[in-house]
Amino acid sequence: MPLSNEQLKTLYANMVRARRFDEKIVQGIADGKTVSFFHSGLGEEAVGVGGCAFLRPDDFVWYHHRGHGIGHIIAKGGSPREFVAEHFGKATGACNGVAGFHFVDPEHGMLGFSGTIGSAFPVTLGWGVAAKMNNRGQAVVCFFGDGASNRGTLHEAMNMASVMKLPIAWVCENNLYAQFMPLRDAFASEDIANLAIPYGMPSQTVDGQDVVAVHEAVQWAVERARAGEGPSLVECKTYRFRAHSEGAPDVAHFELRPPEEVEEWKRRDPILLFRERLLGEEVATASELDGIDAEAAAEADEAERFAMESPPPDASILSELLYAR
Amino acid sequence: MRDIPYRIAMQEALAEEMARDEKVFVVGEDVQAGTFGVTSTLVQRFGPARVIDTPLSETAVAGTALGAAMAGYRPVADFMFADFIYIAGNEVLVNAAKWRFAHGGKVSLPLVFLAAMGGGARNGPEHSMSPESLIMHTPGLKLAVPSTPYDAKGLLKSAIRDNNPVVFFYHKRLLGLRGDVPEEEYTVPFGVADVKREGTDVTVVATALQVQHALRVADEVKDRVSVEVIDPRTLEPLDIDSIVRSVEKTGRLVVADEDTERCGVGAEIITQVIERAFDSLDAPPKRVCAANLPIPGGFIEASVLPQPASILAAIEAVTGRTLKA
Repeated sequence: MPLSNEQLKTLYANMVRARRFDEKIVQGIADGKTVSFFHSGLGEEAVGVGGCAFLRPDDFVWYHHRGHGIGHIIAKGGSPREFVAEHFGKATGACNGVAGFHFVDPEHGMLGFSGTIGSAFPVTLGWGVAAKMNNRGQAVVCFFGDGASNRGTLHEAMNMASVMKLPIAWVCENNLYAQFMPLRDAFASEDIANLAIPYGMPSQTVDGQDVVAVHEAVQWAVERARAGEGPSLVECKTYRFRAHSEGAPDVAHFELRPPEEVEEWKRRDPILLFRERLLGEEVATASELDGIDAEAAAEADEAERFAMESPPPDASILSELLYAR
Repeated sequence: MRDIPYRIAMQEALAEEMARDEKVFVVGEDVQAGTFGVTSTLVQRFGPARVIDTPLSETAVAGTALGAAMAGYRPVADFMFADFIYIAGNEVLVNAAKWRFAHGGKVSLPLVFLAAMGGGARNGPEHSMSPESLIMHTPGLKLAVPSTPYDAKGLLKSAIRDNNPVVFFYHKRLLGLRGDVPEEEYTVPFGVADVKREGTDVTVVATALQVQHALRVADEVKDRVSVEVIDPRTLEPLDIDSIVRSVEKTGRLVVADEDTERCGVGAEIITQVIERAFDSLDAPPKRVCAANLPIPGGFIEASVLPQPASILAAIEAVTGRTLKA
């Protein structure tokens, strides 16, 4: 079913919101407000936003390392205010300021995150087992990077998910680099989507800068999952505009990433591309989109203010956190 | 009261808890047949959807438990050999142990990791470990190490009902041990040590198979020295109060445990006793543990693992008496 104009505008708004919030955390590093590290997802907004838009609240999402999942979180209905507060180390953060950069929101199907790359696969396998047992058409969407595809956990989880026909959409956010390692030197095949073949899954490869294309591909995988047809793999070709993490060198191995490569991808900024399309197809007017931009900026400013005014957590909570009663 | 084997006591605990709570399920490699007989017969009663045989992947077994627990189930995952927990180290030690804490208490992980510990079967260095100290060292994991059929059943029922990750080690050499188990419903609480034999001259704190060794030795020397045998039953939480009370009475302490000596269970318990009750000690405490070596296979296994004679020698050392017949 084609997206309505309202839905298209929601996709646009969520990408702009993701960008403004990502920029807040980047700036927070420079200002000393962000307490941990940050792996900006600028340039990759279409993947999280397109992939998580219009899922059910009870669908499970494993968001992505890039941008610490801000696009996925916003599109899935999570609170970006709690996202900022967590990054600023405050008690009002999603994890009460304990994690520093993880986000959790069980009400919206985001049960947690890991700092170890490749953890995504076994745990979302377990979510898939639970979703299948629940038997109410829930889907699991697991986002992972090209770097994670180097892990053996991918094989172990994808194999079992296919054997059990679990309702999982595996979505690779391939931005061509794992920290400083170019994909071509770390992955033995041209496309990560080829990994679908040994596990008997269908796959799609899409332009990760095209939010509608991402949405349609992930939706295809999610519909298959809901229908009990088992897992699918979607590869989104994208690119990160910034270095691996704030303060890290922006290199391929030890040399700067090729400037022409960076420039080429920046011309394919997912927000600019989509804005042109909405205007060209007369889905929205420039003033409407400017209004969305201004709202997103104000929302991010407000979240920053909220986070700055919030207290840090009290260390007395720590002993209570270790075990549930 | 009935006399049943440890293995059957565990089977009963699993069956009773699966009947009591439909969220409980068992997952692992060949759990339907049951490699050690612990999970055998469950599939006939509860079906393959609740007794899940996985592909050969400890990571997938652990991930299934981890993910399903986050999503509201109460999985019991069997690793077969305790050595195999290392394969899923990220899922057990990093993810399961930390995720409630790291996510500000907003997710719970009510799951049980079952595994067979212990040597004595001459299975060699990678099928004979008792990695109790590894688990005890990791904040966020509870650890049960039953030494009798009664404790095995009662502790396993408590483990399944606990809202936290519990590692439950059953000892290979105890699976056939028979003991009194009531017909009626009961549980054994965590963090409550059991005085297996009362005595006045020396306290032997022992876990799993070493409890049976200690009881045998205590009986053999009963005319010459009065040995108190304390089984902590769970190492996390650890009932250090009961151990300290016993040492205050006897003034002498031996800790017998099958894990490697260095940084092991004995080191931890003795340190805690010294910190709490140094003035009560009439002699330096002794550890009885596996030597600081991998556990060899074949006939020389016994030269590395603690034997009843090792406990006897330790009792002689702390009491200054010659006890050998």
